[in-house]
Amino acid sequence: MAIKKKRYALVIDSRKCINCKACVVACKAENKVPVGNFRNRINEERKGEYPKLSINFEPEQCHHCADPSCVRVCPTGASWQRKDGIVLVNYDECIGCRYCMVACPYDARYFNEEEGVVDKCTFCSHRVDKGDIPACVETCPSKVRVFGDLEDPTARIHELLSTRRYRVKEPQTGNGPQLYYLL
Amino acid sequence: MHEFNWGLLIVVYLFLGGLSAGLFFAAGLANYLTVDDKPVYAKVARMGALLAPWPVAIGSGLLILDLGNWYRFYKLFLHFRWQSPMSIGSYLLTIFTLIAFVYLFAWLKEDERKWIFSKIPATWKQVHRLNVDISSWREKIAMVGFPFSIGVGIYTGVLLGAVSARPFWNTNLVAQMFLFSALSSGSAALLLAMLLDRKNPVEKHETKFLVTLDVVFISLELFIILPYIIHGQLSSQAVKDALTLILGGPYTVVFWVFFLFLGLLVPLAIEVYELFPSIFKGREFHGSRRMALTAAGLVLFGGFLLRYIFVYAGQVSSFHRMGLLR
Repeated sequence: MAIKKKRYALVIDSRKCINCKACVVACKAENKVPVGNFRNRINEERKGEYPKLSINFEPEQCHHCADPSCVRVCPTGASWQRKDGIVLVNYDECIGCRYCMVACPYDARYFNEEEGVVDKCTFCSHRVDKGDIPACVETCPSKVRVFGDLEDPTARIHELLSTRRYRVKEPQTGNGPQLYYLL
Repeated sequence: MHEFNWGLLIVVYLFLGGLSAGLFFAAGLANYLTVDDKPVYAKVARMGALLAPWPVAIGSGLLILDLGNWYRFYKLFLHFRWQSPMSIGSYLLTIFTLIAFVYLFAWLKEDERKWIFSKIPATWKQVHRLNVDISSWREKIAMVGFPFSIGVGIYTGVLLGAVSARPFWNTNLVAQMFLFSALSSGSAALLLAMLLDRKNPVEKHETKFLVTLDVVFISLELFIILPYIIHGQLSSQAVKDALTLILGGPYTVVFWVFFLFLGLLVPLAIEVYELFPSIFKGREFHGSRRMALTAAGLVLFGGFLLRYIFVYAGQVSSFHRMGLLR
C-alpha cells in the first residue's frame, strides 16, 4: 500500500462547550506548561442585557495553519511544520526573538521565560505519533473536540466537515487555519 | 490580556539602526559634493563617518540582549531564510556595520590611526599590517555603503510591514516611512554633532547643507505618513480599525501632538524659516545656532517616537481582538 499523506486538524463544536477548562488543565499537565502560560484557552463572548442575554464559549489554540506565518518569519528555521501539518518549535534552534509571536494572528504562542524560547500547542505530537489523540481532545467531557486526519475518508472529522457547516477564524490573513468551528 | 512581545529595547534598536543608516547616507553624500574638484563638506563627511557605525553597533548589542537566549544569536548566521525579514536583516546589518567601520577607518587622520595602533601589542603583527592609509578609498567605500545604508534603513520597516497578522503594520508604506525617518534622523544627528563640536565651529554652508537635507527628508516622510492614514481609512475594515489606535485610541496624543506636531512639523517649520530668506529673498543664510539645535533635537525625538508608536500600537492591532479597543 502506498504511503498515505496525512493532514491533522481539529474540529470544534463550540456550542457544546461548557467552559469547564478541563482541556486547559489537561494540556498543562500533559505538556508541563509553566505557571502563567497556556497552550490553549477558552474565549468568552457575552452579549445582550438581562434578561435577554447569551454567552458563547469558544476554545482556541494553535491553528496549525496550512501556510503558517510563524514559520515564514522565523529567522533560524526553529519554527517548522511537519509533513502532517503539525507546526512545532525546535527548542535548540530557537533564539527567543519572538518574531513568530508577533506574526501569529491568533496569539497562540507564549514565551517560556525560564528557557528563553517560544513554545506552543504541539497537537500533542508525542501522543499522536503513538496513535493516541491530543490530551485536550481526550479529556473534554462534553465532546467538543474531534481530532483527526483530513486525508482519511473514514475519520469522524471527515464526516463532520462533509455534513456540517463550519467556519475558520480570520481566513483573510492567508494562513489557512486548521481549526474548524462547527456552526 | 494582550501582552507586548517586543518592548523598549526593540524601539531603541530600530531607532539606532535607522540613525546609523541616515548618518552614513548623509556623510557619504557630503563626501561626493565638490566645488571645482574640492570637497566643500569634508568636515560634515568626516563627522558623519566617525559617528555612523556606533549607533548600529550599540543597537545590535541591544537586539542580542533582547533575545531569550542571547548567546544563540550566532544561529542567525547559520541559516539564510529569504522569507524572513529578520534573517535578511541580520545579514544586512552585519555587512553595513562592517562597511561603516571601514569607512570610519578611512576617515581617520594619520596621527589618530597611529595612536590607535600604538595601543595594540607590537607582537600582533597581523593586526599591524592593517595600519595602512585607505583615505583614497573613501568615495568607493561610500558608494558600496549607500545601498546597504538604504537597506538597513528600510529593513526595519519591512520587518514590521511583512507581518500580515498586524493590520497596523501590514501596509507597504511603513517601510518607506521608516526609511525617510531614518535618513532625516541621520542628518539631524549630524547637524547636532556639528553644532556641539566646539573645537571645530560649524560653518554656515555646512549648517545650510544639513538643514536642507533634513527639510527634504522630513517632507518625504510627511508625504508618506499622510497617505498611510488616508490609505488606511480607505482600506479593509481591519486596517481601518487598527488606525483607531492613533485616531482616538490610546496612541492618539503621542502620535499627533508629540510625534507629528513636535517631532515633525515644528522642526520642519524652523528649518524652512531658516532657509526661506536665503532661498527666496537672496539674502545670506544666517543659521541661528539655537534654532538649528532645537530643530535637530526635535527631529531625533520624533524619530524615536515614530518607532515607539509603531512597535507598541502595531502589536495591539490584530484581526480578532480589535473589538475590545472600542
